[in-house]
This record gives sequence, C-alpha cells and structure tokens, in this order.
Amino acid sequence: MTNLNQPLLLFDGGCAVCNRIGQWVQKAAHPRSSAATLDARAIGSDPAELRTLNPNLDIWDAYAIIHLLMPDGSMKTGGEAVAEVLRRLPATKWFAWCFAISLFGFQPFQRLLNLGYTILDDVRPIFGCASCGTPRVWVKPITRLTAWTKLRFGKGATRATTPHFSHAPAPTLNSAYAGASGAKVD
Amino acid sequence: MDELDFASFDAMETRMTHSTSGLLDRIPTLSGDSFNATVIKGTGPIAVEFMSYGCGYCRAIEPFLQQVAETLDRKEQIFRVNIEAEPELSAAFEVQGTPTFIMFLDGREVGRVEGIQPTLSNVMAVVTQPFDINY
Repeated sequence: MTNLNQPLLLFDGGCAVCNRIGQWVQKAAHPRSSAATLDARAIGSDPAELRTLNPNLDIWDAYAIIHLLMPDGSMKTGGEAVAEVLRRLPATKWFAWCFAISLFGFQPFQRLLNLGYTILDDVRPIFGCASCGTPRVWVKPITRLTAWTKLRFGKGATRATTPHFSHAPAPTLNSAYAGASGAKVD
Repeated sequence: MDELDFASFDAMETRMTHSTSGLLDRIPTLSGDSFNATVIKGTGPIAVEFMSYGCGYCRAIEPFLQQVAETLDRKEQIFRVNIEAEPELSAAFEVQGTPTFIMFLDGREVGRVEGIQPTLSNVMAVVTQPFDINY
C-alpha cells in the first residue's frame, strides 16, 4: 500500500464536470505560499494500481462515487469527501467548519451537502458526460434534449470519447453470423 | 440450446445487488498479447466484453456477468478487455461503444451484441446465444 503524505481526491477523468472540479481542487490545494493541502488525480483504468493506494478501493466504486483517500488508510466518500476537501482548501476552509455542526446527532449542513452532491451526481449526464453512469429517469429527457441540441447546433458535434450503450432491446444473433454458430458444448 | 430458466434467474436477481465490492472477480482481463494467445488461438466458445470502468452500463451488468461466469464455469470462457487500456484492440474489432460483447468460437467471431439490459437472464442469453450450451 502506497503511503500518502496528504489526502488524495480521486475523480472521474472521463467526466467533464468532475474534471473541471478536480482541476480546480488541484489548483486551490497548491497555494504558492505554502505546502499543498491535498492532491487530486483522475481514477484511471488500472484496478491493481488503485489497490496499491488502498487495498479496499474498488475501481467500480471509485467511478460510482467520489472518493477521498486519507493518509491514515481510511476513505471518505460522497458528501463526506466533499466536506473534507472543503475543510482542507485554503479558499474554503473558513466556512467548511459548518459541516461538522451537530444538533442532537443531526448534521444539517452535512445533510445539505450530501443532498447537493447527490443532485450534482444525478445531473452530470446532462452535460454530456461520457462516464456518468446510467441517467435517472427524470434526467433522461434532458440528456436527450441536450444531446440533440449539441448535434444540431454544437460545433464539431462529435463526442471525443467512446459512447456507452445503454441497452439493446433484446439479444438477437446478427444475421451476418447466421450459420456460423451451433457448437455443442456439454 | 436448452430453454433458459428465466424464473430462477429473476429469483437470483432479487438477491443480487449492483454493488461490485467484495465480489470475487471471475473474469480475467486481457491485453493485446494475451488476447491473441487466449482468444484468437483459443478453442471452444469464448465471450469477450469490451468495457471501461467509467461506463455506468458496464457497472450495471458486472454483478450479473460474474454470476454468469460462475454458472458457465468451464463450458464457456468469459474475458474482458478494457478499451481505455487497449485502444488498438477495440479499434481492431471496430468496437463503437461499451459494453460490447463479442463471441468467438475457435478464434472466429460468431456473434456480437452492443449494449445489454442489466438483467441476469439477458446477460446469460447474450453470452450463450451463438453456442449450444447446456448449463
């Protein structure tokens, strides 16, 4: 397991929204006058390499929800990770203390942040993200509309990354393969 | 091919979650070199999933694919190719998106399915459809 000197934020490099946020965090966490407060990098595509950072880190999970790897070997995810990042950035730490406020065990600001993260996670596909998971039902019409608008009016109107197929209606053998199959395997 | 037992698949689905954590990975990942040795020069039925870890649809079918790999065991081999790590391989097979399943028999492509509904019965049907497999 790689020893981390400071927390490491993992973000989805295939997602335009996450990339922007990740780059902003990276920039904000490296002030010229002082040492870096955390690192940020894209998840990548090597599960084994990720496990060297933390043996419990699954690459599928890393893409499903934002992860912050802590130097002590623990991991924070989702809204908890966002709160920890905000606490460590010089530009945001002045207000990030509020996420720790607890009223009879209830953390109102942390709950709000969790909700905000969930909403942002849900709406990512609207911005043409190529790796944002399966859009929720209420987001699908908007993603179709934005995709159509991009195709119709956008410059270059092509996606830079490989598209992800949602589903095929039913598995049917391509006619090109007719007669090519039929091996009996017991 | 025997009729698929869709009722039992549906029952299994209710017990499965989409979380992949803690699952034993039964699907080896192939690189360019190992692809040639394992698939092109391989014998018997082989299914290869061209996928990427950032693909939500690939994630959705992953638990079902693991279950299918366990069910089929030695009757059919299932592999994955990460298209981000192996762009030449995905280009060579003209993979237009993920997930794409390509079925091979004795090194020859005999079937291809792009995109799959994330259900166990559907994944089982996709990887076994070109072959006559009793399981």
